[in-house]
Amino acid sequence: MVSSGRLGRAAAIGGAILATLVFLFPVIYMVGISFKLPRDIFTVPPRWFSELTFDNYTSYFHQARILPRMVNTVIVAAGSAIVSMVAGAMAGYALTRMRMRGAGVMAGVILASRAVPPIALVVPMFLVARRLGLTDQYITVILAYVTFLVPYVVWLMRAFFRSLPKELEEAAMLDGCGRFGAFFRIIVPCSLPGLISTMIYCIILAWEELLFALILTNDKAVTIPVAIAGIAADTENGGLWGPLAAVGVLTVLPVVIFALVVQKYLVKGLADGATKG
Amino acid sequence: MSAVRTPSSRARAAGPARGSGGPLRRRGLRLGEPGTAWVFLTPAIVLLAGMLLYPIIYTVWVSLSDFDLSTFQPGDWVGLKNYETVINDPGFLESLKVTGIYLVIALPVQLVLGFAIAFLLNVEWRGRGVLRALFLIPMVVAPVVAGGVWRMLLDPLWGVVNYALGLVGVGPVEWIGDPTLAMVSLIVIDSWRWTPFVVLVASAGIMALPSDVYEAAKSDGASRWQTLRHVTVPLLVPVIAAAFIVRWLGAVKMFDIALAATKGGPGQATDVVNLYIYEKGFRGLEFGSASSMATIVLVITMIITYFLFRLSRYLENRW
Repeated sequence: MVSSGRLGRAAAIGGAILATLVFLFPVIYMVGISFKLPRDIFTVPPRWFSELTFDNYTSYFHQARILPRMVNTVIVAAGSAIVSMVAGAMAGYALTRMRMRGAGVMAGVILASRAVPPIALVVPMFLVARRLGLTDQYITVILAYVTFLVPYVVWLMRAFFRSLPKELEEAAMLDGCGRFGAFFRIIVPCSLPGLISTMIYCIILAWEELLFALILTNDKAVTIPVAIAGIAADTENGGLWGPLAAVGVLTVLPVVIFALVVQKYLVKGLADGATKG
Repeated sequence: MSAVRTPSSRARAAGPARGSGGPLRRRGLRLGEPGTAWVFLTPAIVLLAGMLLYPIIYTVWVSLSDFDLSTFQPGDWVGLKNYETVINDPGFLESLKVTGIYLVIALPVQLVLGFAIAFLLNVEWRGRGVLRALFLIPMVVAPVVAGGVWRMLLDPLWGVVNYALGLVGVGPVEWIGDPTLAMVSLIVIDSWRWTPFVVLVASAGIMALPSDVYEAAKSDGASRWQTLRHVTVPLLVPVIAAAFIVRWLGAVKMFDIALAATKGGPGQATDVVNLYIYEKGFRGLEFGSASSMATIVLVITMIITYFLFRLSRYLENRW
């Protein structure tokens, strides 16, 4: 765009590569540490290449029950994402496409709720969950996550539905579909790429959430971020860098893989849209 | 991201074929059915009323009562007593100040850095796509992991950062131990985690810039700086405003990075308000004070957010 001259271009490319490396370094470092023995971690100068070990992934994982916690996190993230997608997409559709009194106010309220800090909700959630005997259960955490996911979905999907042509559902309704038929048979399939990318963001947000999980779980339903916070707190006494890095790698890996897998699907959806339309 | 554009094209293609049902039944088509609209809204409203509105009311209720730890329920009504306590609590005021400093420095840093890197990544060459993809990786590192890993990097004894600084004769630097540097560290970690998001948004905005405006500017003999100042920045104002708002909404919730990296310390140097309230409530079991503080934070956040929205609207309309 603005860059003129070969020198400026080369400098810009060099800068881009440098910036990318700087931003990637902590991740590379984390992966490296996760395969090292303590004696190779706590040395000066740092050892870049040393004996490989899977200790951090095996012995510690068993001790800290990392895998069950991973399962918890998957259940909570998937559950809250699905609930929020259904509720949020329907609300987003109604607010953009249906004439109703108070739509503007409703949209304002739902979007404003995106600005509510979670700290304003944690005390009652903890107290009520405790009184109802619902602490440390998936459903409690899932419902807590809905508070920040639903406004988020409405926010994203509203912009998305607005870009769909009106004739689409008009046609469907002329064909005898009701509003629900038009929504589920026409609008949802047509918005699939947008729905999927929104859902990915929801899953990531739920996957890495800490505050709600910290106060609502203590044993059975503990999620990975809570476990990591515990390990990080232990780091002060030294020694747990390897396990912390290993768990860190394990939390990043599924998200990256998931994004890659779904990206394929996204590309396919794109191609279908272009050819079959 | 690019996928967002497909469905409309697909829909447009599907539209006419579907529409062959004929205009005869047009009268049966009522777009203004308020009843159905409310049915569509019901799940979201029920969820948000139960999990958002009710807890907020409950928080305010707890903040106005004397919390009874024996029954674990709000007890007698005490009016504004809890508020009086927290307003005179130096720790709370300090945590508000710390949060303010963090927001005022971190958000501009992330925006400037994000847009600068987006411009660098916009230069066309073969590796551009790969760099863009790699750049997004920090975005999927959970904040609590980011805090933990950076804590290792910045460790005064074994950390790689101090080792590298030592090679050029600086240090050892007490990144986490010194109050000022701990805040710097917190901002560095947060910026590492969130600048890629700004890059993503900025890249999309930059790619959407119309090229004919630049040709016009060039033929008018505008310098590079003039082009940036009078063409690019005004055109990008909506994108900058949007990125800022989304970052603001995320940054006011700052909790996990501070917990994992500095635990609010040393002293209260990085004790952001969410962390302070959490400690008060769930370690100190002072639910009354915690709720009053949470209510104050809620009100402050909503007011500032409202004005930021107004400001971004205003900026969008002005340019």
